[in-house]
Amino acid sequence: MGIVTVLWEKWVEFKYEWFKITTSALISPLLYMIALGWGLGATTTVTDRPYIDFLVPGIIALTTMNTSFSAVGLSLNVQRLFEHSFDHIIISPTPISQYIVGQMLGGSLRGMYSGCLILLLSIPFGATMHISPMFFLVMLLNGMVFAALGVLAAVLAATHSDISRFSTFVILPMTFLCNTFFPLDRIPTAIKVIIDVLPLTHASGLLRSMAYGSAPNLWSVLILALYALVFMVLANAVINRRKNI
Amino acid sequence: MIDIIHVSKTYPKQQVKAVDDVSLHIDSGEFFGLLGPNGAGKTTLIRILVTLLLPTSGEVQINNQVLTRKRADLKKKLSIITQENSLRYDMTLDQVMEWQARLYHIPLAVMRERREELLDFCGLTEHRKKTVRKLSGGMKRKLMLCRALLTDPEILILDEPTIGLDPASRRQMWDLLRRLNEKGLTVLMTTHYIEEAQSLCQRVALINKGKVVRLDTPAELISQLGPVAVDEFDGSQTRSSFFPTKEEALAYAESITNKFNMRSTTLEDVFLDIVGSGLEVV
Repeated sequence: MGIVTVLWEKWVEFKYEWFKITTSALISPLLYMIALGWGLGATTTVTDRPYIDFLVPGIIALTTMNTSFSAVGLSLNVQRLFEHSFDHIIISPTPISQYIVGQMLGGSLRGMYSGCLILLLSIPFGATMHISPMFFLVMLLNGMVFAALGVLAAVLAATHSDISRFSTFVILPMTFLCNTFFPLDRIPTAIKVIIDVLPLTHASGLLRSMAYGSAPNLWSVLILALYALVFMVLANAVINRRKNI
Repeated sequence: MIDIIHVSKTYPKQQVKAVDDVSLHIDSGEFFGLLGPNGAGKTTLIRILVTLLLPTSGEVQINNQVLTRKRADLKKKLSIITQENSLRYDMTLDQVMEWQARLYHIPLAVMRERREELLDFCGLTEHRKKTVRKLSGGMKRKLMLCRALLTDPEILILDEPTIGLDPASRRQMWDLLRRLNEKGLTVLMTTHYIEEAQSLCQRVALINKGKVVRLDTPAELISQLGPVAVDEFDGSQTRSSFFPTKEEALAYAESITNKFNMRSTTLEDVFLDIVGSGLEVV
């Protein structure tokens, strides 16, 4: 019940801002594809494939991450610290756990919407990919991980600036380092160990292997699911136990 | 109905005890007021009552059951108008009401019926398709009231409900609150408008520095101070003196040389007397 309530709220939010949401989801990926796909990567190949084939799954992974995180984290941050409408969620009888799952689903659907836009956008760039239902499920799962992280960041942030700082220190490094723009085989081992643990690395790897026509690595699927679960449990604990929400 | 039992709240960073061992009982169907100067702890207490804040010690009970963030059954009995307009700015009035109904698990058909009545009563029907960000401050307060009443609560908590309302709208809200209270709704209200509390509340608790310093009916509080007041102006400031009878007040007035005015004591006098002195806790 609470999950449907949040999905309805997310739909209202989307209807109100669909044009802004759509255009802002396209700008960065479009620039990445022009600069790195057509520009720097025009004559580059990765594992004997055109660089654009390597690049697009990475861009889809980082876009679903960014969109899902922002759709939940930034929105909740405004609702909590500016509108104070988040107070109303705490006061209401809707269980917090259902509210969080609703946010995760709503955020990940927004992420998947952006991912689908990138798929369409990649067609004129000549990217060739095998798209299966599992490809969309991984986009959804990746979105759920970062939407849950968005809830957690939003309830921990003491100011509006904190959520921007969180993006700068957590989301931005993952955008560039997690198997998105370049293969990780030349990265020093000490750094690679850290990168290999991060969720976006698994999302990029999964989407790319499926785009190349290979079977998905189930360990990566499991790791993403575990991340989603841990962030969800943490967000639930913080909201329920925090003395001053 | 509502029991606040030895509730204290300390903000650790500021080392401030905002609420200090407050215990109150509010009966079912009572209209109860919390009065106090800025920073007295009224809003902190209200936020504890609706689980937005968790107390450092003590507990709140509704119908003898401890209220926590997980008690959906108890939270369903409460509705609140917070001091801030806690509304989604990008929702229309209709959507705000639907959002409320969904959060409180009210069937949409019931919601539509009540929504019509409430928006009509508050004169907001013609604005229903506007987003909240386009409403005036007064309209937002009215919408908060509509939203709070949509869930048909047993307890209505109002934190400065008439802030931003013009005098006519304020009176309109007083009448509505009175009618709702007469139908059995329990109302707990904080307000800066003392005449509002005097007019509406059956009992008031006066809070200062986090503690309850007086708790009684407005009439009894006025009686304790003295129901007849004499204001005298000494050329630089007005000083008020209070007397149990008109005769004693007249005798005093005849003994002074300054200009004076004799009148009935109000709850505001009680409030000012408490704020201006370091009274002991009851």
